Amino acid sequence: MVESRTQARPLSGTHAVAVRVAAVAALIAIWELLVLAEFWPPAVLPGPAQVWDQLLATSNASNGQGGYAGSTLVERLGVSLRRVGYGSAYGILLGVGLGLLMGLVPVIRAITEPFVTFLRALPPLAYLSLLVIWFGIDEEPKVYLLMVAAFPPVAVATAAAVTGVNKQYVEAAAALGANRARVVATVVLPASAPEILTGIRLAVGIAYSSVVAAETVNGADGIGGMVLNAQRYNQTAVVMLGLVVIGVTGLIIDSAILAGQRALSPWRGLA
Amino acid sequence: MGEALVELIGVEHSYRTKGGAVPALGPLDLRVEPGEFVVVVGPSGSGKSTFLRVVSGFEHPSGGAVRLLGRTPVPGRDVGVVFQQPRLFPWQTVGGNIGTALRWAGVARADRPQRTVELLDQVGLGSLGPRRTWEISGGQQQRVAIARALAAQPRLLLMDEPFAALDAMTRERLQEDVRSLTDDATRGVVFVTHSVDEAVFLASRIVVLTDRPGRIALDLPVPLPRTGVSADELRGSAEYAALRGEVATAVRSVAA
Repeated sequence: MVESRTQARPLSGTHAVAVRVAAVAALIAIWELLVLAEFWPPAVLPGPAQVWDQLLATSNASNGQGGYAGSTLVERLGVSLRRVGYGSAYGILLGVGLGLLMGLVPVIRAITEPFVTFLRALPPLAYLSLLVIWFGIDEEPKVYLLMVAAFPPVAVATAAAVTGVNKQYVEAAAALGANRARVVATVVLPASAPEILTGIRLAVGIAYSSVVAAETVNGADGIGGMVLNAQRYNQTAVVMLGLVVIGVTGLIIDSAILAGQRALSPWRGLA
Repeated sequence: MGEALVELIGVEHSYRTKGGAVPALGPLDLRVEPGEFVVVVGPSGSGKSTFLRVVSGFEHPSGGAVRLLGRTPVPGRDVGVVFQQPRLFPWQTVGGNIGTALRWAGVARADRPQRTVELLDQVGLGSLGPRRTWEISGGQQQRVAIARALAAQPRLLLMDEPFAALDAMTRERLQEDVRSLTDDATRGVVFVTHSVDEAVFLASRIVVLTDRPGRIALDLPVPLPRTGVSADELRGSAEYAALRGEVATAVRSVAA
């Protein structure tokens, strides 16, 4: 069989899974080897086994400290995911709404685009202080921080998608007697859906990666709060556990959105 | 003579560019009656597409007046358009595309499923309703586009080189089907092409446009029978060959 050497073929489903599992196993093996070689003391670089022990310990509600500092890993994950969920949802609603207006009304785009880009350039920790002054230290500033972080990529993607809609479809709709509202609802929105979903995917990723920042102020009950707390007491294994949990759940959320995107727009790349 | 379907009076159109106005069309006068199948032939760049955009209401002519059933044309009112590409909405099924057109045409929700089947039957695709638009062939897609354009039962159907992208065999089959669209004598078709063969086969009347700006070089009735003759008989007849020669000569002379 002659195979093209210039074009990369995607791996088949089971093959791809096998390769990924092997890569993770190799990574853990290298990590263990580094620990065994004792380049760094265990307090700096704990091994996979210690992180695993922390996973079991922090998941155990009856270990004398209710998991970790009062709540189990799963409870913490739930608290953080809830914050990310609300923050992303508000950010997505706001972003799609403003993005649509930006894409459809050039004046609105001209006015709002610099502000959106400005927001996008700010690190979430920078505006957390302001949000805390305005909204206190309860749930609001955390959810609003994630909303502010999630909203720009959705707005930018939506605006770009709307302006990029194939004019041939718009004209075909007009030739069928559709007014502007109908063109937007039946042509512009579905035609933009794949790109908007890409923006949403990006936004949820950014919101999730900002969860540690969001939980720096009175957020000890979340997974980000656990990482910050553990850092304070030099519990390196707990810090690493937190990172692994955030990373893995982030991966799962991302592939769920990706699957949703494929299901919602199977025609992507064909139009 | 009753009310004209389309009337162009001294119509001319030019496009504004950096180098000034570039005349694309006219001035020309044309009257299309119900039941006529007018095929507009011309060399590329003769303003055929401009002509259709002006008649469909997508462009307002820089000079003169266009009347569609006595009114200024508006896209989607009394007029259906079939473009060179099918332009079906890929986020909807085949039937969904027709259903959307019916909804925009004001057909009641309860009547749409049956009308969808009827329209698809009319173009020979009765069973394809649930399919995705990209799963069917190019010829089938263009048939769906024709059914979609007919959903609002427009009095005038405009067709802009709709078969140019299809293979020869599919093209002939679609030509045979489209030829009968004016069997309904209240409907008129204006069909634009650069193919002399297509023009002679389809038309009840051929209009040859000159090179840019497009003016009418030849306006010729086609006396070929429209019913009771098979497509092969028609294409093989002496009258067909003679007309073909006459139109081809006219097109060549304006293209020079």
